[in-house]
Amino acid sequence: MTRLDGRRSYDGGVSLQSAPDLPAEPEVERLSPVARRTRLAAAVAVLAVVLAGSVWGEDDAFPFGPFRMYSTRADPNQPVISTRVVGLTAAGEEIRLSGGQVGLRRAEFEGQLPRIADDPELLGLLADSYAERNPDAEPMVEVQVIQRHIELSGGQPTDEVDDRVLVTYELDTSDDDSEDGE
Amino acid sequence: MSTTAQTPQSGAAESPETAPAVPGTPRWWFRPVPLARIAVFRVIAYLFIPIDVFVTTAWVRAHADVPTEWYQPLLIGRLLGLPTPTHTVVLVVQWALVIAAVAAATGRAPRILGFAVFLLYAEWMVIAMSYGKVDHDRIAFLVALAVLPTIGRARFRDRRSSEAAGFAMATVLVAVMLTYFLAAWAKIRFGGWDWPTGSTLTRAIVRRGTDLSNWTLDVPYLLPVAQWVMIAFELASPLILLVRSERARIGLVLFLLGFHVMVYAGVTIIFLPHCIAILSILPWEKLTAGRRRTALPTPAQPTPSTAAS
Repeated sequence: MTRLDGRRSYDGGVSLQSAPDLPAEPEVERLSPVARRTRLAAAVAVLAVVLAGSVWGEDDAFPFGPFRMYSTRADPNQPVISTRVVGLTAAGEEIRLSGGQVGLRRAEFEGQLPRIADDPELLGLLADSYAERNPDAEPMVEVQVIQRHIELSGGQPTDEVDDRVLVTYELDTSDDDSEDGE
Repeated sequence: MSTTAQTPQSGAAESPETAPAVPGTPRWWFRPVPLARIAVFRVIAYLFIPIDVFVTTAWVRAHADVPTEWYQPLLIGRLLGLPTPTHTVVLVVQWALVIAAVAAATGRAPRILGFAVFLLYAEWMVIAMSYGKVDHDRIAFLVALAVLPTIGRARFRDRRSSEAAGFAMATVLVAVMLTYFLAAWAKIRFGGWDWPTGSTLTRAIVRRGTDLSNWTLDVPYLLPVAQWVMIAFELASPLILLVRSERARIGLVLFLLGFHVMVYAGVTIIFLPHCIAILSILPWEKLTAGRRRTALPTPAQPTPSTAAS
Protein backbone atom coordinates (compact mmCIF):
# COMPACT_ATOMS: atom_id res chain seq x y z
CA MET A 1 0.00 0.00 0.00
CA THR A 2 1.20 3.44 -0.78
CA ARG A 3 0.29 6.05 1.74
CA LEU A 4 -0.78 9.59 0.90
CA ASP A 5 2.67 10.93 1.75
CA GLY A 6 4.24 8.53 -0.70
CA ARG A 7 5.74 6.11 1.87
CA ARG A 8 5.01 2.42 1.59
CA SER A 9 3.51 0.46 4.43
CA TYR A 10 6.80 -1.37 5.08
CA ASP A 11 8.68 1.92 5.57
CA GLY A 12 7.42 2.24 9.11
CA GLY A 13 9.56 1.40 12.10
CA VAL A 14 9.46 -2.18 13.15
CA SER A 15 10.31 -3.25 16.64
CA LEU A 16 12.95 -5.95 16.27
CA GLN A 17 12.70 -7.43 19.75
CA SER A 18 9.61 -8.79 21.34
CA ALA A 19 8.78 -7.22 24.67
CA PRO A 20 9.78 -10.05 27.05
CA ASP A 21 13.37 -10.08 25.78
CA LEU A 22 13.98 -6.45 26.62
CA PRO A 23 15.98 -5.94 29.77
CA ALA A 24 13.12 -4.08 31.38
CA GLU A 25 13.58 -2.32 34.69
CA PRO A 26 12.84 -4.87 37.42
CA GLU A 27 9.64 -4.01 39.20
CA VAL A 28 9.34 -3.60 42.92
CA GLU A 29 6.56 -5.27 44.86
CA ARG A 30 5.34 -2.71 47.37
CA LEU A 31 3.70 -3.33 50.73
CA SER A 32 0.46 -1.73 51.74
CA PRO A 33 0.59 0.86 54.54
CA VAL A 34 -1.16 -1.60 56.86
CA ALA A 35 1.35 -4.35 56.09
CA ARG A 36 4.18 -1.92 56.73
CA ARG A 37 2.74 -0.78 60.04
CA THR A 38 2.12 -4.34 61.23
CA ARG A 39 5.67 -5.34 60.40
CA LEU A 40 7.22 -2.32 62.09
CA ALA A 41 5.08 -2.85 65.19
CA ALA A 42 6.12 -6.53 65.38
CA ALA A 43 9.78 -5.62 64.95
CA VAL A 44 9.61 -2.98 67.68
CA ALA A 45 7.83 -5.39 70.05
CA VAL A 46 10.38 -8.19 69.54
CA LEU A 47 13.27 -5.74 69.84
CA ALA A 48 11.85 -4.43 73.10
CA VAL A 49 11.61 -7.95 74.55
CA VAL A 50 15.13 -8.85 73.39
CA LEU A 51 16.58 -5.68 74.88
CA ALA A 52 14.68 -6.18 78.14
CA GLY A 53 15.95 -9.76 78.24
CA SER A 54 19.50 -8.55 77.79
CA VAL A 55 19.17 -5.98 80.56
CA TRP A 56 17.21 -7.93 83.16
CA GLY A 57 16.83 -11.48 81.90
CA GLU A 58 18.79 -14.66 82.52
CA ASP A 59 19.45 -17.71 80.35
CA ASP A 60 16.07 -19.02 81.49
CA ALA A 61 14.40 -16.42 79.24
CA PHE A 62 15.66 -18.10 76.03
CA PRO A 63 15.23 -17.08 73.23
CA PHE A 64 15.02 -13.60 74.71
CA GLY A 65 17.75 -13.93 77.31
CA PRO A 66 21.11 -12.18 77.37
CA PHE A 67 23.79 -13.14 74.84
CA ARG A 68 26.22 -14.24 77.49
CA MET A 69 28.68 -16.40 75.57
CA TYR A 70 31.97 -16.19 77.44
CA SER A 71 30.72 -13.12 79.24
CA THR A 72 31.83 -13.97 82.77
CA ARG A 73 35.20 -12.59 83.65
CA ALA A 74 37.67 -15.24 84.67
CA ASP A 75 40.13 -14.06 87.31
CA PRO A 76 43.68 -14.54 85.99
CA ASN A 77 44.79 -15.85 89.39
CA GLN A 78 41.94 -18.22 90.08
CA PRO A 79 42.14 -21.82 88.88
CA VAL A 80 40.31 -22.96 85.75
CA ILE A 81 37.70 -25.53 86.72
CA SER A 82 36.67 -28.38 84.48
CA THR A 83 33.90 -30.69 85.63
CA ARG A 84 33.42 -34.33 84.77
CA VAL A 85 30.92 -36.94 85.82
CA VAL A 86 32.18 -40.51 86.01
CA GLY A 87 30.93 -43.88 87.05
CA LEU A 88 33.33 -45.98 89.10
CA THR A 89 33.55 -49.74 88.72
CA ALA A 90 34.31 -52.06 91.60
CA ALA A 91 37.90 -52.12 90.35
CA GLY A 92 38.05 -48.33 90.63
CA GLU A 93 38.03 -47.67 86.91
CA GLU A 94 36.38 -44.51 85.62
CA ILE A 95 33.58 -44.65 83.05
CA ARG A 96 33.00 -41.19 81.66
CA LEU A 97 29.40 -40.03 81.61
CA SER A 98 29.79 -36.34 80.87
CA GLY A 99 31.02 -36.58 77.28
CA GLY A 100 27.66 -37.30 75.72
CA GLN A 101 27.52 -40.97 76.77
CA VAL A 102 24.14 -40.47 78.46
CA GLY A 103 22.90 -37.70 76.21
CA LEU A 104 24.16 -34.80 78.33
CA ARG A 105 27.14 -32.55 77.70
CA ARG A 106 29.68 -31.27 80.19
CA ALA A 107 28.19 -27.79 80.18
CA GLU A 108 24.76 -29.24 80.91
CA PHE A 109 26.10 -31.01 83.99
CA GLU A 110 27.78 -27.79 85.08
CA GLY A 111 24.52 -25.91 84.63
CA GLN A 112 22.69 -28.37 86.88
CA LEU A 113 25.37 -28.76 89.58
CA PRO A 114 23.29 -27.20 92.37
CA ARG A 115 20.43 -29.56 91.52
CA ILE A 116 22.75 -32.58 91.51
CA ALA A 117 24.15 -31.59 94.91
CA ASP A 118 20.60 -31.32 96.31
CA ASP A 119 19.36 -34.47 94.68
CA PRO A 120 22.22 -36.91 93.95
CA GLU A 121 19.72 -39.57 92.98
CA LEU A 122 19.69 -37.91 89.56
CA LEU A 123 23.12 -39.47 89.09
CA GLY A 124 21.65 -42.90 89.81
CA LEU A 125 19.16 -42.44 86.96
CA LEU A 126 22.04 -41.73 84.60
CA ALA A 127 23.91 -44.83 85.72
CA ASP A 128 20.80 -46.92 85.05
CA SER A 129 20.33 -45.38 81.64
CA TYR A 130 24.01 -45.98 80.81
CA ALA A 131 23.83 -49.62 81.93
CA GLU A 132 20.70 -50.12 79.87
CA ARG A 133 22.36 -48.88 76.72
CA ASN A 134 25.70 -50.58 77.37
CA PRO A 135 24.77 -54.01 78.69
CA ASP A 136 28.32 -55.30 78.25
CA ALA A 137 29.93 -52.54 80.29
CA GLU A 138 31.51 -53.27 83.65
CA PRO A 139 28.87 -52.52 86.34
CA MET A 140 29.33 -49.29 88.26
CA VAL A 141 29.31 -49.07 92.01
CA GLU A 142 29.15 -45.32 92.35
CA VAL A 143 28.90 -42.11 90.38
CA GLN A 144 31.04 -39.09 91.11
CA VAL A 145 31.06 -35.47 90.06
CA ILE A 146 34.68 -34.41 89.96
CA GLN A 147 36.04 -30.93 89.44
CA ARG A 148 39.56 -30.53 88.16
CA HIS A 149 41.21 -27.32 89.30
CA ILE A 150 43.99 -26.15 87.02
CA GLU A 151 46.02 -23.43 88.73
CA LEU A 152 46.78 -20.29 86.76
CA SER A 153 49.67 -17.98 87.37
CA GLY A 154 49.40 -14.54 85.82
CA GLY A 155 46.73 -15.85 83.48
CA GLN A 156 48.80 -18.79 82.28
CA PRO A 157 48.14 -22.40 83.18
CA THR A 158 50.56 -24.25 85.42
CA ASP A 159 51.09 -27.97 85.93
CA GLU A 160 49.36 -27.76 89.28
CA VAL A 161 46.25 -29.87 88.83
CA ASP A 162 43.97 -30.93 91.61
CA ASP A 163 40.90 -33.18 91.34
CA ARG A 164 38.17 -32.62 93.92
CA VAL A 165 35.17 -34.87 94.30
CA LEU A 166 32.09 -32.70 94.58
CA VAL A 167 29.28 -35.25 94.80
CA THR A 168 29.38 -39.00 95.33
CA TYR A 169 26.36 -41.19 94.84
CA GLU A 170 26.61 -44.84 95.77
CA LEU A 171 24.63 -47.15 93.57
CA ASP A 172 22.51 -49.83 95.13
CA THR A 173 24.27 -52.78 93.54
CA SER A 174 22.69 -55.52 95.66
CA ASP A 175 19.32 -54.64 94.14
CA ASP A 176 20.36 -55.67 90.69
CA ASP A 177 20.66 -59.33 91.62
CA SER A 178 17.29 -59.61 93.33
CA GLU A 179 15.47 -57.89 90.49
CA ASP A 180 16.68 -60.06 87.68
CA GLY A 181 13.17 -61.42 87.10
CA GLU A 182 12.02 -58.03 85.74
CA MET B 1 35.24 2.77 47.79
CA SER B 2 33.27 3.24 44.61
CA THR B 3 30.96 0.47 43.66
CA THR B 4 29.62 1.84 40.42
CA ALA B 5 30.87 0.90 36.97
CA GLN B 6 30.07 -2.71 37.79
CA THR B 7 27.22 -3.20 35.39
CA PRO B 8 26.66 -1.63 32.00
CA GLN B 9 23.44 -0.04 33.21
CA SER B 10 24.10 3.46 34.42
CA GLY B 11 21.05 3.17 36.65
CA ALA B 12 22.68 0.47 38.76
CA ALA B 13 23.94 2.92 41.36
CA GLU B 14 20.45 4.31 41.94
CA SER B 15 18.62 0.99 41.97
CA PRO B 16 16.13 0.85 44.82
CA GLU B 17 17.96 -2.16 46.32
CA THR B 18 21.12 -0.21 47.03
CA ALA B 19 19.65 3.22 47.66
CA PRO B 20 21.14 4.89 50.73
CA ALA B 21 18.96 4.81 53.83
CA VAL B 22 19.47 5.55 57.50
CA PRO B 23 19.29 2.31 59.53
CA GLY B 24 16.13 2.09 61.57
CA THR B 25 14.03 4.38 59.39
CA PRO B 26 11.05 2.89 57.48
CA ARG B 27 12.94 3.61 54.26
CA TRP B 28 15.72 1.33 55.54
CA TRP B 29 13.46 -1.43 56.87
CA PHE B 30 11.56 -1.64 53.58
CA ARG B 31 14.40 -1.14 51.11
CA PRO B 32 13.52 -3.73 48.44
CA VAL B 33 15.49 -6.97 48.14
CA PRO B 34 15.45 -9.14 44.98
CA LEU B 35 13.12 -12.10 45.33
CA ALA B 36 15.71 -14.34 43.64
CA ARG B 37 17.98 -13.75 46.66
CA ILE B 38 15.21 -15.00 48.93
CA ALA B 39 14.64 -18.05 46.73
CA VAL B 40 18.28 -19.11 47.09
CA PHE B 41 18.66 -18.25 50.77
CA ARG B 42 15.46 -20.08 51.62
CA VAL B 43 16.83 -23.31 50.17
CA ILE B 44 20.06 -22.89 52.17
CA ALA B 45 18.22 -22.16 55.42
CA TYR B 46 15.71 -24.99 55.15
CA LEU B 47 18.18 -27.60 53.93
CA PHE B 48 20.50 -26.69 56.79
CA ILE B 49 17.90 -27.99 59.24
CA PRO B 50 18.32 -31.72 58.50
CA ILE B 51 22.10 -31.20 58.70
CA ASP B 52 21.69 -29.41 62.02
CA VAL B 53 19.42 -32.11 63.44
CA PHE B 54 21.40 -35.15 62.32
CA VAL B 55 25.00 -33.96 62.12
CA THR B 56 26.12 -30.69 63.61
CA THR B 57 23.99 -30.55 66.76
CA ALA B 58 23.07 -34.18 67.14
CA TRP B 59 23.29 -33.72 70.92
CA VAL B 60 19.76 -32.32 70.83
CA ARG B 61 18.46 -35.70 69.65
CA ALA B 62 20.48 -37.32 72.42
CA HIS B 63 18.11 -35.68 74.91
CA ALA B 64 15.57 -38.30 73.84
CA ASP B 65 17.45 -40.82 75.98
CA VAL B 66 18.01 -38.61 79.02
CA PRO B 67 15.81 -39.43 82.03
CA THR B 68 13.04 -36.81 82.06
CA GLU B 69 13.94 -35.96 85.67
CA TRP B 70 16.88 -34.04 84.20
CA TYR B 71 14.55 -31.78 82.19
CA GLN B 72 14.58 -28.25 83.54
CA PRO B 73 11.96 -26.32 81.58
CA LEU B 74 12.81 -22.79 80.44
CA LEU B 75 10.51 -19.88 81.18
CA ILE B 76 8.91 -20.22 77.75
CA GLY B 77 8.28 -23.92 78.31
CA ARG B 78 6.60 -23.21 81.65
CA LEU B 79 4.52 -20.32 80.29
CA LEU B 80 3.27 -22.22 77.26
CA GLY B 81 2.97 -25.53 79.08
CA LEU B 82 5.18 -27.27 76.51
CA PRO B 83 5.33 -31.06 76.86
CA THR B 84 8.11 -32.77 78.79
CA PRO B 85 10.52 -34.12 76.16
CA THR B 86 10.01 -37.84 76.53
CA HIS B 87 11.63 -40.17 74.05
CA THR B 88 8.49 -40.09 71.88
CA VAL B 89 8.08 -36.31 71.99
CA VAL B 90 11.67 -35.78 70.88
CA LEU B 91 11.36 -38.26 68.00
CA VAL B 92 8.04 -36.83 66.79
CA VAL B 93 9.30 -33.25 66.82
CA GLN B 94 12.52 -34.31 65.11
CA TRP B 95 10.84 -36.04 62.18
CA ALA B 96 8.08 -33.45 61.79
CA LEU B 97 10.74 -30.74 61.70
CA VAL B 98 12.96 -32.49 59.16
CA ILE B 99 10.07 -33.36 56.84
CA ALA B 100 8.58 -29.86 57.02
CA ALA B 101 11.98 -28.28 56.37
CA VAL B 102 12.70 -30.40 53.30
CA ALA B 103 9.21 -29.66 51.98
CA ALA B 104 9.67 -25.95 52.61
CA ALA B 105 12.98 -26.01 50.75
CA THR B 106 11.10 -26.80 47.56
CA GLY B 107 9.50 -23.35 47.76
CA ARG B 108 5.97 -24.71 47.78
CA ALA B 109 3.38 -23.23 50.16
CA PRO B 110 6.03 -20.88 51.54
CA ARG B 111 3.78 -19.32 54.18
CA ILE B 112 2.24 -22.44 55.72
CA LEU B 113 5.30 -24.69 55.49
CA GLY B 114 7.60 -21.87 56.56
CA PHE B 115 5.52 -21.10 59.61
CA ALA B 116 5.39 -24.80 60.53
CA VAL B 117 9.17 -25.05 60.27
CA PHE B 118 9.56 -21.99 62.49
CA LEU B 119 7.29 -23.40 65.21
CA LEU B 120 8.89 -26.85 65.10
CA TYR B 121 12.42 -25.47 65.16
CA ALA B 122 11.51 -23.24 68.11
CA GLU B 123 10.24 -26.31 69.98
CA TRP B 124 13.40 -28.17 68.98
CA MET B 125 15.41 -25.37 70.57
CA VAL B 126 13.37 -25.62 73.76
CA ILE B 127 14.25 -29.32 73.88
CA ALA B 128 17.88 -28.39 73.26
CA MET B 129 18.24 -25.69 75.89
CA SER B 130 16.23 -27.15 78.78
CA TYR B 131 18.94 -29.33 80.31
CA GLY B 132 21.13 -26.83 82.09
CA LYS B 133 22.92 -25.14 79.22
CA VAL B 134 21.62 -22.43 76.92
CA ASP B 135 23.45 -21.69 73.68
CA HIS B 136 23.41 -18.29 72.05
CA ASP B 137 24.24 -19.16 68.48
CA ARG B 138 20.84 -19.37 66.85
CA ILE B 139 18.77 -16.30 67.58
CA ALA B 140 19.46 -14.84 64.12
CA PHE B 141 18.60 -18.18 62.49
CA LEU B 142 15.34 -18.34 64.46
CA VAL B 143 14.54 -14.81 63.31
CA ALA B 144 15.25 -15.83 59.71
CA LEU B 145 12.86 -18.78 60.03
CA ALA B 146 10.24 -16.49 61.56
CA VAL B 147 10.38 -13.90 58.78
CA LEU B 148 10.88 -16.08 55.68
CA PRO B 149 7.17 -17.08 55.61
CA THR B 150 6.16 -13.40 55.58
CA ILE B 151 7.65 -12.95 52.10
CA GLY B 152 5.50 -15.41 50.21
CA ARG B 153 6.42 -16.69 46.77
CA ALA B 154 9.94 -16.18 45.49
CA ARG B 155 11.40 -17.91 42.46
CA PHE B 156 15.00 -18.28 41.35
CA ARG B 157 14.33 -16.41 38.13
CA ASP B 158 12.18 -13.74 39.65
CA ARG B 159 13.57 -10.40 38.51
CA ARG B 160 11.37 -8.41 40.81
CA SER B 161 12.39 -7.17 44.19
CA SER B 162 10.04 -6.78 47.10
CA GLU B 163 9.62 -4.63 50.16
CA ALA B 164 8.40 -7.64 52.14
CA ALA B 165 11.68 -9.38 51.30
CA GLY B 166 13.53 -6.21 52.23
CA PHE B 167 11.91 -6.11 55.64
CA ALA B 168 12.66 -9.79 56.26
CA MET B 169 16.32 -9.42 55.37
CA ALA B 170 16.57 -6.25 57.45
CA THR B 171 15.32 -8.10 60.53
CA VAL B 172 17.85 -10.91 60.00
CA LEU B 173 20.61 -8.34 59.64
CA VAL B 174 19.52 -6.67 62.88
CA ALA B 175 19.46 -10.05 64.63
CA VAL B 176 22.98 -10.85 63.38
CA MET B 177 24.18 -7.44 64.55
CA LEU B 178 22.53 -7.76 67.97
CA THR B 179 24.14 -11.17 68.49
CA TYR B 180 27.47 -9.33 68.55
CA PHE B 181 26.39 -6.07 70.11
CA LEU B 182 24.43 -7.63 72.96
CA ALA B 183 27.28 -10.09 73.51
CA ALA B 184 29.46 -7.08 74.30
CA TRP B 185 26.75 -5.77 76.59
CA ALA B 186 26.52 -9.14 78.36
CA LYS B 187 30.28 -9.10 78.94
CA ILE B 188 29.93 -5.72 80.60
CA ARG B 189 26.85 -6.79 82.56
CA PHE B 190 28.14 -10.15 83.81
CA GLY B 191 31.89 -9.80 83.53
CA GLY B 192 32.17 -6.16 84.50
CA TRP B 193 33.97 -3.31 82.79
CA ASP B 194 37.26 -5.14 83.37
CA TRP B 195 36.15 -8.21 81.37
CA PRO B 196 38.91 -7.72 78.77
CA THR B 197 41.62 -7.89 81.43
CA GLY B 198 40.36 -11.23 82.72
CA SER B 199 41.41 -14.67 81.59
CA THR B 200 38.22 -15.74 79.85
CA LEU B 201 40.01 -16.80 76.67
CA THR B 202 42.72 -18.59 78.65
CA ARG B 203 40.04 -20.50 80.48
CA ALA B 204 38.31 -21.34 77.22
CA ILE B 205 41.52 -22.63 75.63
CA VAL B 206 42.57 -24.59 78.72
CA ARG B 207 39.19 -26.29 78.66
CA ARG B 208 38.73 -26.75 74.92
CA GLY B 209 42.00 -25.79 73.24
CA THR B 210 43.25 -27.35 69.99
CA ASP B 211 46.66 -27.81 68.39
CA LEU B 212 45.95 -24.58 66.54
CA SER B 213 45.30 -22.56 69.68
CA ASN B 214 47.27 -24.06 72.57
CA TRP B 215 50.40 -22.09 71.65
CA THR B 216 48.55 -18.85 72.44
CA LEU B 217 48.63 -19.78 76.12
CA ASP B 218 52.41 -19.32 76.14
CA VAL B 219 52.45 -15.88 74.52
CA PRO B 220 52.17 -13.19 77.20
CA TYR B 221 49.50 -10.49 76.64
CA LEU B 222 48.23 -12.09 73.43
CA LEU B 223 44.91 -13.30 74.80
CA PRO B 224 44.08 -10.14 76.78
CA VAL B 225 44.75 -8.11 73.63
CA ALA B 226 42.47 -10.47 71.70
CA GLN B 227 39.82 -9.84 74.34
CA TRP B 228 40.08 -6.07 73.83
CA VAL B 229 39.85 -6.48 70.06
CA MET B 230 36.84 -8.75 70.40
CA ILE B 231 34.83 -6.42 72.59
CA ALA B 232 35.75 -3.44 70.42
CA PHE B 233 34.51 -5.19 67.28
CA GLU B 234 31.35 -6.30 69.03
CA LEU B 235 30.60 -2.75 70.15
CA ALA B 236 31.21 -1.53 66.59
CA SER B 237 28.85 -4.12 65.10
CA PRO B 238 25.95 -1.66 64.43
CA LEU B 239 28.07 -0.47 61.51
CA ILE B 240 27.10 -3.61 59.61
CA LEU B 241 23.60 -2.13 59.22
CA LEU B 242 25.14 0.27 56.69
CA VAL B 243 25.99 -2.48 54.22
CA ARG B 244 24.56 -1.76 50.76
CA SER B 245 26.68 -2.54 47.73
CA GLU B 246 27.39 -6.06 46.56
CA ARG B 247 31.09 -5.75 47.26
CA ALA B 248 30.47 -4.56 50.79
CA ARG B 249 28.05 -7.43 51.36
CA ILE B 250 30.56 -10.04 50.20
CA GLY B 251 33.36 -8.42 52.21
CA LEU B 252 31.26 -8.30 55.35
CA VAL B 253 30.23 -11.94 55.05
CA LEU B 254 33.83 -13.06 54.52
CA PHE B 255 34.95 -11.06 57.55
CA LEU B 256 32.24 -12.45 59.83
CA LEU B 257 32.64 -16.04 58.64
CA GLY B 258 36.41 -15.66 59.00
CA PHE B 259 35.95 -14.76 62.65
CA HIS B 260 33.76 -17.79 63.29
CA VAL B 261 36.14 -20.16 61.51
CA MET B 262 38.99 -18.79 63.63
CA VAL B 263 37.01 -19.38 66.82
CA TYR B 264 36.29 -22.90 65.62
CA ALA B 265 39.97 -23.55 65.02
CA GLY B 266 40.74 -22.30 68.52
CA VAL B 267 38.09 -23.84 70.75
CA THR B 268 36.01 -26.04 68.37
CA ILE B 269 32.90 -23.95 68.91
CA ILE B 270 31.12 -22.79 65.79
CA PHE B 271 27.96 -20.71 65.66
CA LEU B 272 26.73 -22.63 62.64
CA PRO B 273 23.06 -21.53 62.59
CA HIS B 274 24.27 -17.95 63.07
CA CYS B 275 26.63 -18.41 60.11
CA ILE B 276 23.70 -19.57 57.99
CA ALA B 277 21.85 -16.40 58.95
CA ILE B 278 24.92 -14.41 57.90
CA LEU B 279 24.65 -15.97 54.42
CA SER B 280 21.39 -14.04 53.95
CA ILE B 281 23.49 -10.89 53.50
CA LEU B 282 24.99 -12.13 50.21
CA PRO B 283 23.60 -10.99 46.82
CA TRP B 284 22.52 -14.50 45.80
CA GLU B 285 20.43 -13.12 42.92
CA LYS B 286 23.68 -12.77 40.96
CA LEU B 287 23.89 -16.56 40.74
CA THR B 288 20.50 -17.02 39.18
CA ALA B 289 20.81 -13.85 37.04
CA GLY B 290 24.11 -15.11 35.64
CA ARG B 291 22.52 -18.37 34.66
CA ARG B 292 19.72 -16.56 32.90
CA ARG B 293 22.05 -14.25 31.02
CA THR B 294 23.92 -17.19 29.53
CA ALA B 295 20.63 -18.80 28.60
CA LEU B 296 19.23 -15.73 26.85
CA PRO B 297 21.51 -15.34 23.81
CA THR B 298 20.54 -18.73 22.40
CA PRO B 299 16.86 -18.35 21.58
CA ALA B 300 17.39 -19.22 17.91
CA GLN B 301 18.69 -22.70 18.62
CA PRO B 302 16.23 -25.49 18.08
CA THR B 303 16.50 -27.01 21.58
CA PRO B 304 17.45 -24.12 23.82
CA SER B 305 16.31 -25.54 27.14
CA THR B 306 18.11 -28.86 26.93
CA ALA B 307 21.22 -27.37 25.35
CA ALA B 308 21.70 -25.07 28.33
CA SER B 309 22.23 -27.93 30.72
